[in-house]
Amino acid sequence: MHLYQVVMVAISSVMLYLGIKEFANRETGQTLLKLSVRVTVWGGMTLIAIYPDSTLFIARVLGVVDNFNAVVMMGFLLVFMLIFKLLSAIEKVEQNISELTRKEALSEAHERIEQLRQEIKEKKKQREQA
Amino acid sequence: MQAYFHKVCRHVFQRLRAQVFRMMQTVAIVIPVYNEAKVIGSVIEEVRAHGYEHIVVVDDGSADDSYLIATAHDVLALRLKINRGKGAAVKTGIMAANILGADVVVTMDGDGQHDPADIAPLIAPILEGRMDAVLGSRLLNRETMPFKKKVANSIGNFITWLFYGLLVSDSQSGLRAYSRYAALIIDTKADKYEYDSKVIREIKNNRLRFTEVPVQTRYTEYASTKKTKQGFINGLITLRRMIWKLIA
Repeated sequence: MHLYQVVMVAISSVMLYLGIKEFANRETGQTLLKLSVRVTVWGGMTLIAIYPDSTLFIARVLGVVDNFNAVVMMGFLLVFMLIFKLLSAIEKVEQNISELTRKEALSEAHERIEQLRQEIKEKKKQREQA
Repeated sequence: MQAYFHKVCRHVFQRLRAQVFRMMQTVAIVIPVYNEAKVIGSVIEEVRAHGYEHIVVVDDGSADDSYLIATAHDVLALRLKINRGKGAAVKTGIMAANILGADVVVTMDGDGQHDPADIAPLIAPILEGRMDAVLGSRLLNRETMPFKKKVANSIGNFITWLFYGLLVSDSQSGLRAYSRYAALIIDTKADKYEYDSKVIREIKNNRLRFTEVPVQTRYTEYASTKKTKQGFINGLITLRRMIWKLIA
C-alpha cells in the first residue's frame, strides 16, 4: 500500500464520520440526500484508494477508456459549475444580509425619521405660503 | 470690459437663482461612515456651516464611536449593525432621504476629503431642473490629485466604460447629487466600492440627464492613510466583483 492511499483513506474516513455524526445529531441542513452524496463521494474515494484498478473497470463499463481527456474536462466543468453555484448562493446570502441590516437600521430610527419628515413637510408648507 | 461685466452679472444671477431654488427645495446630505470617529464631528459641523441642515449619517458597522458622535450632533444617524460596505451605507442613506421627502440628495465621504463648498455648484443643475444626476469630478481639477490616484482613476474610468458603456472623468468619486426622481429610480444591489460604478450604469440604463462638475479633494494625511480606502488591492477586489456580477 502506498502513502497516498493511506492519506486518502484517512481523509475519507474522517469526512464520512463527520457526515454520519452530523446526520445522526440532526444538525441543521443535514438531510438524507446530503448524507447519501457524502457517502457516495467519500465512500467512492476510499474504494478507489484501496482498489486503484477499479477506475479502469469503471472506465470500461462507461466506455471512456480511449477518451480519458474528455472525462477530465467533464470533471473540470463539473467543478466549475459547483463553484459557480456556490458563489451565486453566497452572493444571494450577502444581499439578503444587507437588506435585513438596512431594514433594521431604518426601523430603529423610524421615530426620528418620522419627526424629521413632519418638520420638513411643515417647512415646505410655510415656504409655499410665503 | 463689457464682456467681463456681462460675465460677472451672469455669474451673480446664476448664484442668486440657485440660492432661491435652494431655499424652495429640501437638500439632504448623505454621509456614509466607517470608523471615522476622529473626523465625523467636524465634517458634520462643516456641512452645517454651509447651510445644509438635513444631514443623514449612516454608520456602516463601525467599531469606534462614529455613531454616537453623529447622534450627538443632532443629525439623522442610522446604524448598520454589520459592516456591509460603502454601497450598502449610501443606499441606506438615500432611502432615508427619500422617506424624508428630500428634493435633492447629495452623497459625500465621511473622511473629510470633500469640501462642502462644492455642494452648491453640484446641486445647482438639479435645482434648476436641468439635470437628474451630477457627478463631482476630481479629474476635472487634476492639479491637486496625486499621480498614483490619477492612474488608478483612469483605470477605473476605463473599466466602468468597458462594462457599463458610459465614459465619465471620475467614476469613483463619492461626491454626487441626485434629483428626487434619480434617487428613487437608481437601484443597484452592489454593496461595496463597485456601487459608484454601478450608479453610472443606472444613469445610462435609465437615460438620466447627467453632468460632471469639478470638485476639490482635500488629500489630508488622515484620508490618505486610511486602511479601508479604495487602494490597489481593493481596486482588484472591486474589479473581481464587477466581473462576477456580469457573469453571475
